[in-house]
Amino acid sequence: MTDVELIERLKADLGDRVEIANPARRRLFLKIAPRDLVAVTTRLRDAFGVVFLSTISGVDNGVSFEIIYHFSTPEHDYNLRTEIPKDDPRIDSITPVIPGAILYEREIQEMFGIVVDGIPDGRRLNLPDDWPDGQYPLRKDWKHVRPVEVIPGGKS
Amino acid sequence: MSFQIPIGPQHPALKEPISLRMTVEGEVITGADIRLGYNHRGIEKLAEDKSFLQNIYLVERICGICSHSHATCFVQGVERLMELDPPKRGMYIRYLVSELERVHSHLLWLGVAGHEAGFDSFFMYTWRDREIVMDLLEMISGNRVHYAINTIGGVRRDLDEGQKARILEGVATLKKRSEYYFHIGANEPSFVARIAGVGMLTKQQVIDLCAVGPTARASGWDRDVRKEDPYAVYDELDFEVATADSCDVLGRVVVRVKELLESYKMIEQMVRRLPDGGIVVKAPRKAKPGETVSRYEAPRGENIHYIKANGSDRPERLKVRAPTLGNYPATVAMLKNGFIADIPLIFAAIDPCICCAERAVTLVSARSGEESIVRMSDLRRLALARSSNAPVKGNAVWPF
Amino acid sequence: MLNKLARWSRIKSPWILHLNSGACNACDIEIVAALTPRFDVERFGILLKATPRHADVIIASGPVTRQMRERIIRIYEQTPDPKFVIAVGACAMAGCVYRGAYNIMGGIDQVIPVNMYVPGCPARPDAIVDGVVKLLGKL
Repeated sequence: MTDVELIERLKADLGDRVEIANPARRRLFLKIAPRDLVAVTTRLRDAFGVVFLSTISGVDNGVSFEIIYHFSTPEHDYNLRTEIPKDDPRIDSITPVIPGAILYEREIQEMFGIVVDGIPDGRRLNLPDDWPDGQYPLRKDWKHVRPVEVIPGGKS
Repeated sequence: MSFQIPIGPQHPALKEPISLRMTVEGEVITGADIRLGYNHRGIEKLAEDKSFLQNIYLVERICGICSHSHATCFVQGVERLMELDPPKRGMYIRYLVSELERVHSHLLWLGVAGHEAGFDSFFMYTWRDREIVMDLLEMISGNRVHYAINTIGGVRRDLDEGQKARILEGVATLKKRSEYYFHIGANEPSFVARIAGVGMLTKQQVIDLCAVGPTARASGWDRDVRKEDPYAVYDELDFEVATADSCDVLGRVVVRVKELLESYKMIEQMVRRLPDGGIVVKAPRKAKPGETVSRYEAPRGENIHYIKANGSDRPERLKVRAPTLGNYPATVAMLKNGFIADIPLIFAAIDPCICCAERAVTLVSARSGEESIVRMSDLRRLALARSSNAPVKGNAVWPF
Repeated sequence: MLNKLARWSRIKSPWILHLNSGACNACDIEIVAALTPRFDVERFGILLKATPRHADVIIASGPVTRQMRERIIRIYEQTPDPKFVIAVGACAMAGCVYRGAYNIMGGIDQVIPVNMYVPGCPARPDAIVDGVVKLLGKL
């Protein structure tokens, strides 16, 4: 199935819940609203055979967070994009549909401060145990102040 | 009565620290949990302050064994963002180094697997032959690890006729030696019996947990980024995707052995068909606003980079997902219902970039809370003693 | 007299502990490659040991991450005296390319005292062996 045929089928199936862009061969970017996330993911899994999730990326746009779910099948890549406001960052978990998404959702929780509703295990993944709460490193407005280094036997 | 065993991050012998916590009943593991973060270096945040060219240096150092795969994945994405068309000769040289890296990584892993299974001479043999590949890479690029042969728009160094002849010679020697080892491995019943039936992962689990790489292909899942999303050179080469059906560590060894033989074939094709021409095109400093997803088949699985550019000479966002992270949920599933003594082998079988050879395991008694430390080498000795006393599994076959 | 014997045996065949604190693995592969038949340090009696309590020399690689900081100090304290620390690679010396990251504290010498620095990214196995030999020559 070529890209154009697939886009026709997706539009027929999902209607106006998605906006589809096809910037390169085999790469599709689908934009959906946050409340449709679980429904669209389930429909893609059942009707289009989209089960393999590569990762979930979070992007800080200044006023909102954009979350991109990177799926792929042997013929096409489906990148699902949603946007959530920065002052109330909540999104549903897709682990009931794709169990392998758990680690990636834990990562966006701790790096951006996005709250994933219904996540089975919401502990920290990468940050150390003594990291202070409320500090989200990948937000654009979070800056890190380097501690002064002591060079043994030399000038600091 | 169940105990909780934390396997701590202390690493006396190989690679990186990671912490596992197992719940056990007797000798069977009933639950497992993984704590990452000992190795978190904040690379995605650092990448936003450096230009694209400086980022190649940074991204290469995400991992030492598959450094070229991260650098190539990044450069592929940036070239697509800048709409560059690198010359064919440069592409061939870039992916020739990729296949040589795959060979070195699989030989390294075979040695580690042999060491974990108690077959130490296999370890010494494969690492000695790995030196042939390291010499070839040093001849092509100047360094044994972190080759830095990529630049935006092509590669930095060219190959001449003498180097091409040496590569073909080296690959011919390796092919002969590899076939000799696989013969040894197949005829060593204790090796095959030690690894058969360990670390079972069904095909449905692979699909649910989104596992990648040879770990997943040993369960009959046959996806490989080089076949489905062929970047630049792979649609002109003739090779097959390696799979196995036994779903255990023996299957993973078989898949990697098959991939080694396919890589030798590919290297020979690439050297013989190397086209003439330039090796690099000039790249602009700034990238137009846009985003791109770049995928690559590293020796451990699928590597994916998401790059977003905003018109300046720095990336707005770089997201990297290394292949080993994708295999963690599958590792947890594999450890359940396994034996404690199999932990080093199961963990080594996913070929982690945070590998293990020796770690201290802390046993915490669930009732009284007192701790006692058991060394991973003691666990390995226990496993070897247990398997040497048990009858050899007669139906474990080397499926070649 | 016994002291002199102990000192001679420590110089002639030191036992090594390999400590990785958040590195990219390249230096670690080169350290392990020093044991393989090409460079083969085992013929000198240098053994890679699994526990700090048996070690004379700690070979450390990688920049120090926040999570690993206490573990490194604990391992250093568990090693019996006299002990020596060798920092291998540019990351262990000063943090290499990761300087300025929020989870990195710098090189190994921010946490434990270091006796010998071996530069390189990664340091070649011959350079590592050379570093060990030079350190022992100064004893």
